[in-house]
Amino acid sequence: MASTKLYTIIFVVLAALTTVQAWVEISGFLDQSYWLAFGILGVVASVKALMVAGYFQHLRSEPRSITYVYAAGLMAALALTVAAAYSIT
Amino acid sequence: MPDDNNGDDGSVPSGERDASPESRADGGEVTDGGHAVREELPAGDEHGHDFPSMGTVKRWLVTTNHKDVGILYTVTSLFFLVFGGLLALLFRLELTTASGSFLTGTAYNQAVTAHGLLMVFFFLSPFAFGFANYFVPLQLGAKDLAFPRLNALSYWLYLLAGGLFGLSFLQGSTFAGGWTMYAPLNLPMYLPEGVGSTTAVMAMIMFVISVTVSSVNFLTTMHRMRAEGMRIRDMPLFSMSILLTVWMMLFAFAALLAALIILASDHILGTTYFAATEGGSLLWAHLFWFFGHPEVYIVFFPALGMMAEVFQTFTGRRIVGRKWFIAAMTLVALQSFVVWMHHMFLTSINLEIKTLFMATTIGISLPFDLMVFALIYTMIKGRIRFTTPFLFAFGALLLFIVGGITGVFLGAVVLDYEFRGTYWVVAHFHYVMVGGAMAMFGALYYWYPKMTGKMYDEFLGKAHFALSFVGFNLLYFPQFVAWETPRRVYNYQPEFVTWHQLSTVGAFVFGLSFLLMFYNFYKSYHHGEDAGDAPWKYASSAEWAIPSPPSLENFPGVPSYKGGSLSFLSEEEVHGAAAADGGPAHGHATGDAHAGGHDDHASYWPLLSSVAVFVLFVGLAGTNGGGTVYTATAALGGLALLGTAAGWVVESFHVSEPELASRWPFDGVENTKLGVWIFLASDVVVFGAFVGSYIFIRVAEGWQNWHHLLPADHVVLPGLINTYLLLASSFSIVLAMVAAEKKSRAGVVAGLVTTLVLGIGFLINKGIEWSHFFHIHSEHFPEGWTFGTNVASSTFYLTTGMHGLHVTLGLLVLLWMIPRAWRGAYTSTEDGDKPLEYFGLYWHFVDIVWLFLFPLFYIL
Repeated sequence: MASTKLYTIIFVVLAALTTVQAWVEISGFLDQSYWLAFGILGVVASVKALMVAGYFQHLRSEPRSITYVYAAGLMAALALTVAAAYSIT
Repeated sequence: MPDDNNGDDGSVPSGERDASPESRADGGEVTDGGHAVREELPAGDEHGHDFPSMGTVKRWLVTTNHKDVGILYTVTSLFFLVFGGLLALLFRLELTTASGSFLTGTAYNQAVTAHGLLMVFFFLSPFAFGFANYFVPLQLGAKDLAFPRLNALSYWLYLLAGGLFGLSFLQGSTFAGGWTMYAPLNLPMYLPEGVGSTTAVMAMIMFVISVTVSSVNFLTTMHRMRAEGMRIRDMPLFSMSILLTVWMMLFAFAALLAALIILASDHILGTTYFAATEGGSLLWAHLFWFFGHPEVYIVFFPALGMMAEVFQTFTGRRIVGRKWFIAAMTLVALQSFVVWMHHMFLTSINLEIKTLFMATTIGISLPFDLMVFALIYTMIKGRIRFTTPFLFAFGALLLFIVGGITGVFLGAVVLDYEFRGTYWVVAHFHYVMVGGAMAMFGALYYWYPKMTGKMYDEFLGKAHFALSFVGFNLLYFPQFVAWETPRRVYNYQPEFVTWHQLSTVGAFVFGLSFLLMFYNFYKSYHHGEDAGDAPWKYASSAEWAIPSPPSLENFPGVPSYKGGSLSFLSEEEVHGAAAADGGPAHGHATGDAHAGGHDDHASYWPLLSSVAVFVLFVGLAGTNGGGTVYTATAALGGLALLGTAAGWVVESFHVSEPELASRWPFDGVENTKLGVWIFLASDVVVFGAFVGSYIFIRVAEGWQNWHHLLPADHVVLPGLINTYLLLASSFSIVLAMVAAEKKSRAGVVAGLVTTLVLGIGFLINKGIEWSHFFHIHSEHFPEGWTFGTNVASSTFYLTTGMHGLHVTLGLLVLLWMIPRAWRGAYTSTEDGDKPLEYFGLYWHFVDIVWLFLFPLFYIL
């Protein structure tokens, strides 16, 4: 179990990244270059999710097999989403 | 009596036995090669604690024992076999003429639809899981499943889901849109009037909940409760097939759950997913078949595992290429998730993706070839004894070969253009599905002596096989010949009448043959000869090393394969070994090893909770159009569910984790935590399917073209505030955990209360936002922006609503936990903080989901 200090830092970073996401929209950056902003928002959301999973759900200190189970669900969902969206003519 | 009951000439060359525990029994001598002394077994079920005997009704209402639940599953699934079978006979009668008038059109549609749904969902898989419940723990060397009460819950949810489906017939009409429930014919406007169709959808949801609970339970059990020394690869092939099946179930049924929740929402809330012109009907096909193709193997794998066991026993030969057989099954299980679009070759999906899925589909037939040849070579290498179980398994192999080859035709895009929607498809999948069922009937004969202690009548068994095999082929083979008959409709070309009449005759022969089976089992149960512990000479798995039927806690000691063969350890030996190993994970398993006899086996709560869900779902189905009675019923069911949930927590129900066990690859994670993680993995797919549906529809609409469907007031701020709130609530739960480690009761309470307040804030903020949208009067949305306004509003409300439901459930749990924390429940003992950790895992998951919903629904 990591220290309260580390958890606090992670929370502050998560909140800051959220603010960055909102800024992307409010500043007009999204309207200017939509797909670049799309990419940034996606990456930031993924980083936040990894931080919550890694530290708050302490996947970092669990056996790696637990991460694989979680990731398997994610892979299934991604396979469905990507292939279905790609299938549209 | 079977000819091998007294032993015969089918010897196994010693050099052909391998070193795995599963393969080493010959007549029970090696399997049972340990310290087991049968006379020491407890004679009855009582075990010194208050558990009603099998002759009482109460026993069957309260039992959580895996063998009892297995029997309940088996009997119930056979009931649904008869139910679905009678429906089939009805429409086969209709089809004896080319434009029959025996049934009305609606009745025909209902019969065909309900037949499909009942057979696939309520018969095939539960039949397999009757055996799985009974025999997987025995084959693994476990006393029971990891979560016995959840196992009973799975059963009661299944039974009452079937009851709910039956009820739908009485509500005007049950679902009549085909078992694949294709959109948009699955929507109220295309279905017969009345609540029945929606009730049937709710019954399916209830069934899927049962399956999910069961998957979590089996996966936890199979990964963490195998006897010492039994590696995954050493498991008997039936257990191996069940392990792969439950992994597929966990992810595949999650997609179906999402699809069914969306469908129920379209029915009840009036969302417009599947009516959407932006790919609505295609979306259903994707969701359904993403589940549906793995489902084929979910149904067939247990049958395959049973065939492998029966082949080994009655050829007296370990299966040829055992490890390749297992590798092939594993490959199929993985690949099953990337072949689903071969069910959609006639939809508007593009040619590139069709070609890709044709390749993966043809590819998936290859591992099956290997498995078929392994079974054939096992027969060639061994010495076959034609008992009833073997005949059924062998018959199933022949049927599967026909079904498999005819299926390869359908995997080719160009051929499928011709075959789609014809009786070729009907005949093909019945050869596969009912072929699998034939293997399972063989398994019923195979394990009947173990489950009842009595031997069935061999002559009647063989007669049943002969009649059913002839009836089967007379029923389905003519459908290949008359393949141009259009599927799902009761009118067809007159030149096919003779073939369809033959088929109907076959249906009756096939159906009536089961009277022989039921009679045989009834007669043998009351008047059959005693089967003994190991009636099959070369049966090798651990269930044959114990009495028939086994005692309540299965084994006369703690099973171990550490010495290379099955032995039963005493408590002293276990304590010595466990101490040397450092004890069980986290040192908190309450275990008194094995036969301490203090495990509980009875609880009313699984039944009562299932009844509550039944009442809730009956009510929900009618809330849109059924009147206030339905709304009141739903409220009653919801309250009852809350009450019974409290009952689960209050009840003292002790289950020990084994001190000695093989736990790869989840050493160091206790059962409950693993169960939570496995559940969350399936929830990832549920939410993934919701988000995937949103992305699919938005891509179909034109990603950036989407904004005209949204009100101008749909801005970032409410989502931003809610993201801050949820992140803060995750942080406060972490602080509660830290406080619990420091044994600070006040800290835990403060953390939990903060989380509760933040969660309530989240819901209030969401409520304000929704209320605002409902009541806007803009130029584009003069009537407000509600569930059914357009596809953007539907996806927004349902996806964030599902998330909000998760938040609400979490808050209900918090309301329970806070007073407990106040009383010191999480700080007074060494491992008292575990429930906090489990709750945290769930809550952080809900947080993670929101982290993706926020940009998708509020920024992009």
